[in-house]
Amino acid sequence: MKALRFAARSLVRQPARAALGVLGVAAVGALLLDMLMLSNGLVVSMRDLLDRYGWDIRVAGGDLPLQGPRIRHASTTADTIANLPSVRAALLFRIADARIDRPNVGPLTAQLVGVEVRSAPGRGVVRTSPPWTIVSGRDIGSAAGDVVINQPLASASHIAPGSILTMRVSCVAEREALPPTTLHVTGLAEFPFSGVNEYVVGGTLGTLKTACGGNVVDEVDLLLVTSTGDADGAAAAIRAAGLGVNAMTNDEVVGRFQQAGFSYFRQISSVLTAVTVSFAVLLITVLLTVSVNQRLGEIAALRALGLSRSRVVKDVLSESVLIVGTGGLLSLPLGWLLAAGLDNILKAMPGVPAELHFFVLEREALAVHLALLVLTALLAAAYPMRIVSTLPIAATLRDEVIG
Amino acid sequence: MIVDAQSVSRIFKMPAGPVVAVRDVTLQIHDGDHVAIRGPSGCGKSTLLHMLGCVDAPTSGSLLFAGQDVARLSDAKRSLLRLKQIGFVFQRFFLLPMLTASENVELPLSEAGVGKTERRTRVSELLDYVGLTARADHRPSQLSGGEMQRVAIARALANKPQLLLADEPTGELDVATGEQIAMLLNRVNADGTALVIVTHDQALAGRARRLLTMRDGAIDHEATT
Repeated sequence: MKALRFAARSLVRQPARAALGVLGVAAVGALLLDMLMLSNGLVVSMRDLLDRYGWDIRVAGGDLPLQGPRIRHASTTADTIANLPSVRAALLFRIADARIDRPNVGPLTAQLVGVEVRSAPGRGVVRTSPPWTIVSGRDIGSAAGDVVINQPLASASHIAPGSILTMRVSCVAEREALPPTTLHVTGLAEFPFSGVNEYVVGGTLGTLKTACGGNVVDEVDLLLVTSTGDADGAAAAIRAAGLGVNAMTNDEVVGRFQQAGFSYFRQISSVLTAVTVSFAVLLITVLLTVSVNQRLGEIAALRALGLSRSRVVKDVLSESVLIVGTGGLLSLPLGWLLAAGLDNILKAMPGVPAELHFFVLEREALAVHLALLVLTALLAAAYPMRIVSTLPIAATLRDEVIG
Repeated sequence: MIVDAQSVSRIFKMPAGPVVAVRDVTLQIHDGDHVAIRGPSGCGKSTLLHMLGCVDAPTSGSLLFAGQDVARLSDAKRSLLRLKQIGFVFQRFFLLPMLTASENVELPLSEAGVGKTERRTRVSELLDYVGLTARADHRPSQLSGGEMQRVAIARALANKPQLLLADEPTGELDVATGEQIAMLLNRVNADGTALVIVTHDQALAGRARRLLTMRDGAIDHEATT
């Protein structure tokens, strides 16, 4: 009988112990998987969001996008950038505060995003995507006053594509008492950087300026740029153009976010991973050691009958592998469900984009998960394997008879 | 000759000082021998049996098994020697509870690398030999004490050993069942396997052709019938 089958029979012999071990590993493995998903999840998710619409360079007035002063002389700056040989197109991106009055209930505070694409005249039609994804209805056209809204706003204001949306928009820091603007909703859209409960409206920059009553200077919050293929080269060219702006490739943006705080997640998850693995090792070691100690007489008898030392050691290792393996398999769906639940809780924090995920399952995380489980099985079996490998056969048989 | 022990002693180092379990024993076991070892508790019977079975090594003296100096064999080679040439029967049977009777008997054959078909045939023969064909698929918990010991004897005979060692094989059995086991062991010996039994059971010891009596770790006297 092969060691693995033999170990399986040994485990079935003590189902409560085996179940305890498997469930323990499943729980610990699930936590371990979540820690690994968390360690790099934000970075992966942030990169995915940045890359989603094909804009590979962010140009901002400060160190990080949307976290510094606005870009002044935005039209000139965008045109200059769009005319660089390494740039295909630039998108002006402006955010304004908005208020949507609702009959019989309180007003909603929303954001109106205005965008406008610039490209060099000699390059023909440049196809670019606005920084949102249409869910239903259609995207905005060239008509003034066309907007798309996100699902939370549609639900809260009971507005569907084809409806009219009335809102008051302010383009300056101070609140203004502006007259309401009437906008035409063409579709529902997902805005990747909006929070779970944030209300967002998207339209052209012209729509935004009109909504602001013309009371808007030539400033934008961000420029999104598409390079012709070499993002690093294009970003360097923008910086060299002396426009007083900060151009960052998506890689650089992710790197700065990591410096600014994402690395804490990795550190925390590393510490928790170490604690989790230690707990799993201790759990399985205790279970196997107790089991082995209960069977010393049997093991000594098997050795007396001629089973080799390596064979009885292999039996113990196989038990560990079976417990950790079965628990590890169970830990995958369990960890996935746990991650989904935790992700929803974390995404509900204010200011966190709804499309950003804290837990992302990558092949690398799965590989590390597998490697750590293998390490757990080996470490957990080390002490009980030592017990059986150094078992004095004669003394144990004698003790069993006396006992 | 299967075993040639010359002046073997076994001394255990204990916190209170060394304890001499076996003292200067010289003993030969020949093919087909039927030896019983008896004596008061703690006189060194089991320790001597363990040395004869190569699970323990003498502190001094020499012990040759089939001409090989046991002290010079590695643990792996000693395991192989036990697997193929020595059978053990224990007072407490030590059957594996999660395996059936036939699987318990099959285990040493599997360990020795015997092919599946041959294993099945051999297991069937052995269970028939000990009269347990009908109990082949029963687990130890479903067997009586006598049946468990018969399975243990079948397991010990699996690889056709030259020498069968039994340590108080009737110690856990009632008189009638013990008698059945004694008859079975006699049959094993009659079929050509050398047999060494450590026992307090007078009737079992009385069946042996050589009766060794031990006292204080030494063979006090040997009687032959």
